[in-house]
Amino acid sequence: MSAIGAISERPSQGARTAGRAAPRWDSWLLGATLVLLMLGLIMVYSASVSIASRAGNSGYFLVRQALAAAVGLAAMAVVAHSAIRLWERAGPYLLLLAIVLLAAVLVPGVGVNVNSSTRWISLGVVNLQPSELAKLFVVIYVAGYLVRRQDRLIYFTGGVAMMGMVVAAIGLLLLLEPDYGALLVILLTVLAMLFLGGVRFWHFLLVVATAAGSMALLAVIAPYRLARVTGFLDPWADPFNKGFQLTQALIAFGRGEWLGVGLGASVQKLFYLPAAHTDFLLAVLAEELGLIGVLGVMGLFSIIVWRAFAIARQAERVGELYGARLAQGLGVLLALQAMINMGVNMGVLPTKGLTLPLVSYGGSSVVASCIAVGLLLMVDRQTGRRRWGTR
Amino acid sequence: MSRMTSTCPSPLRFWLVLGVLAILMGLLAARAVYLQVLSSGYLQSQGHSRHLRTVEDSSHRGVIKDRNGEPLAISTPVDSVWAHPGELAEAKTRWPELAKRLDLTAAELAQLVNRHAGREFMYLKRHVTPQVAEAVKALNIPGVALTREYRRYYPAGAVTGHVVGFTNVDDQGQEGLELVHNDWLRATPGKKRVLKDRLGNIVETVESVSLPVPGQDLTLSIDRRVQFLVYSELKEAVERHKARAASAVVLDVQTGEVLALVNEPGFNPNNRGRLRSQAFRNRAVTDVFEPGSTSKPFTIAAALETGRVTPTSVIDTAPGVLQIGQYPIRDVHNYGALTVAQVVEKSSNVGASKIALSVDKNVLWRVYRDFGFGAVTGGGLPGESPGLLRPAARWATVDHASMSFGYGMSVTTLQLARAYGALANDGVLLPVSLLRRDAPPDGKRVLSAATAGRVRAMLELAAGRGGTGSAAQVAQYRVAGKTGTAHKLAAGGGHAENSYIASFAGFAPASRPRLVLVVMVDDPASGGHFGGQIAAPVFSKVMAGALRLLNIAPDDWSGPPPVVVEGAPPKPAAHAAAGGTT
Repeated sequence: MSAIGAISERPSQGARTAGRAAPRWDSWLLGATLVLLMLGLIMVYSASVSIASRAGNSGYFLVRQALAAAVGLAAMAVVAHSAIRLWERAGPYLLLLAIVLLAAVLVPGVGVNVNSSTRWISLGVVNLQPSELAKLFVVIYVAGYLVRRQDRLIYFTGGVAMMGMVVAAIGLLLLLEPDYGALLVILLTVLAMLFLGGVRFWHFLLVVATAAGSMALLAVIAPYRLARVTGFLDPWADPFNKGFQLTQALIAFGRGEWLGVGLGASVQKLFYLPAAHTDFLLAVLAEELGLIGVLGVMGLFSIIVWRAFAIARQAERVGELYGARLAQGLGVLLALQAMINMGVNMGVLPTKGLTLPLVSYGGSSVVASCIAVGLLLMVDRQTGRRRWGTR
Repeated sequence: MSRMTSTCPSPLRFWLVLGVLAILMGLLAARAVYLQVLSSGYLQSQGHSRHLRTVEDSSHRGVIKDRNGEPLAISTPVDSVWAHPGELAEAKTRWPELAKRLDLTAAELAQLVNRHAGREFMYLKRHVTPQVAEAVKALNIPGVALTREYRRYYPAGAVTGHVVGFTNVDDQGQEGLELVHNDWLRATPGKKRVLKDRLGNIVETVESVSLPVPGQDLTLSIDRRVQFLVYSELKEAVERHKARAASAVVLDVQTGEVLALVNEPGFNPNNRGRLRSQAFRNRAVTDVFEPGSTSKPFTIAAALETGRVTPTSVIDTAPGVLQIGQYPIRDVHNYGALTVAQVVEKSSNVGASKIALSVDKNVLWRVYRDFGFGAVTGGGLPGESPGLLRPAARWATVDHASMSFGYGMSVTTLQLARAYGALANDGVLLPVSLLRRDAPPDGKRVLSAATAGRVRAMLELAAGRGGTGSAAQVAQYRVAGKTGTAHKLAAGGGHAENSYIASFAGFAPASRPRLVLVVMVDDPASGGHFGGQIAAPVFSKVMAGALRLLNIAPDDWSGPPPVVVEGAPPKPAAHAAAGGTT
């Protein structure tokens, strides 16, 4: 336990001097989040300026992203001050809401189709992407489920199978959009939560095998998925068609070298790299800020994941099981989403429509990521304060 | 790892998940190092092959100036509208407004875009007006942009059309001196390596491979003022006499420079939209005609030079017809006995034929050849014709005779002007030039100065009051010259009955010739057909204007005193008036 204790040490504690109150919020988590948000604003502007200029408004994406960040920060503040029990109880309703929203996307006239995928609901000025909220709501629900059904997790039917049905329902809706990226993230996150939540190991293996099998089946059923899979393995074989986006992203990385070509100086963003300000923002960042910039982003996400797990540990220690499961789930969710996006950018994973949380352009993604951080801050506040009180 | 206690899940699983995440993040970091450090060279070369392009750095073509530095052809920067076909194809909704601005139909634009599908570049419209360029730019349509090019502008327009010629849309000479001196005039485009965005717009110039070199200027021998004078008089004559065509050449006697060279019909090189190539013909050098009586002086010169006759030798031209085999050679009137000088003055074909027949045909051929007939002048205009001078060995007697009055041979206007230049220049034939000369060139003596002087005196008579070319006279200047009237060759062979070439060749001032002028009018249909009626008046007007424009001193004080221009000193009346000039 000593090792576990070490990870839950608050980094700020060392700097704390006698008589001064402990920081109210986890400053590493909050700091990393704010830095990523700021970096995101700068990079979104840099990557989108030439595309936006063609439409006559160079700040189009910057303004929208800044508004989303403002909304996200407000949501983060509200959530951070909320009560943990509220979320535990709201879990099933939020899951229901997620299903309703995902279903609504599929209703003709409600969903907005972009690049042959229907992932958005038009709300007038902005588009809502329900899959971003669905990821969050599934984590909130599963955390509660794991706590409520704790004693039944040892049974396959009562534990894993039920969970499987819930995920299958969400997954089916995501398949219909289609949004395989979100599906993969949800699937892996739920698996990790089940694993951490204590399902039997062979049950877990069975679920992993099933999941892997169905993924493979998907690739066969939807042949363009297969083409994407083969495309990413050797993008240079067909650099002007299937491999176009990926080769352009790789070139951006190569041009960046150690220190980058300088902020604003990317060439790949000049219409070479599609989705430069959204899914492939990291490639532009790599070109402009170099390896140092990429490692910096990785470090910032590592800090967030590390704090999520530390908060989970801390909650567990004070017996706040729901908070612990929630923090673990959010940590895994953010980690997976960030790493899959990075892997896609660097050509080690097939291309998916996944954003880099907090950084990429996309209002729903930014707000959902902010809420996730807000939830972590909330768990920290409600589990840590008691501990501080004992000192 | 079997059963979990409710409150304390396995720390092992916790570390396992965190460890897997850490390892994955580490692998991603390694991948980033691999891409950005280890394989950055390969990736950058891939990038360069996509971003870097070598483009031409254009520059302007040299200016063509007249002998006084007045511009005759200048290059002005203009914009051309081009597009990235793929990008433009995506902006289909903007096509109608674009087509409207470019003055194309929607179908034409669609066809253009389709034809260039898959390419990276296409011109939509070249050399547009600044207004169109502005309007297209304001549309801000994806994939449509402007590029800087140069358009040739000819300030003198149709006046210098044939001499200067013109360039094509790619700034390369197509006709006239623009074609002949294309290598001298054209700019050598530089090369620069540029960074382009995917739409083809230049983002940054990486390096300059070679600098553009602008074309070099060219100074012509043409005098724009004289050229304009010739142009307007020739145009008027063609209209008045409803002639098919005409041409005229002015040479500087002392240097062989072409001061003016004009053809009708002409064309405006600035606006050659629907012109037939017919109008592009530089008739003065490409078209040949039978010179008629303007060739008489050369026969006389040959006879004088060989000593067969003197200017006062008497030739009997009665009864006005000379029968050679089956061909009768006729005069307009029966002149009876004429001196050699009178043969020229009255333009007697019979007299000239008898003189010609008195000279050995090989000698006659040699003289004609020496005066430049049957060979190109070397003036350096494209498509120049050498004319026709058949070898003496193939002359029948009638050919031998008819050479004297310009049948059975053919010449260009420029050739004839050059040959008259030799008579004017004391028997020295100069090479002609369309470029300005700073010093007189080396000529070739084709006639003794004495003989040349005698011929000039006869030509002055021919342009005098009693001569056929009296209409060529110019107030206060003595003029020498010869009319020519020739039946045109008929399409089916032989000569056409009612179709003529009317010409006049001469020079002034006769005492010390400075300018040679040949006027040729093809097929005048109204107001007569004789050279003396059609061409001589044009000669008179042009010569009068040109002599004054070039500040050439008058040499004839026999006429009425000149009009005193206010402020100018009165000119001395050297000789008392002995009869009017005109």
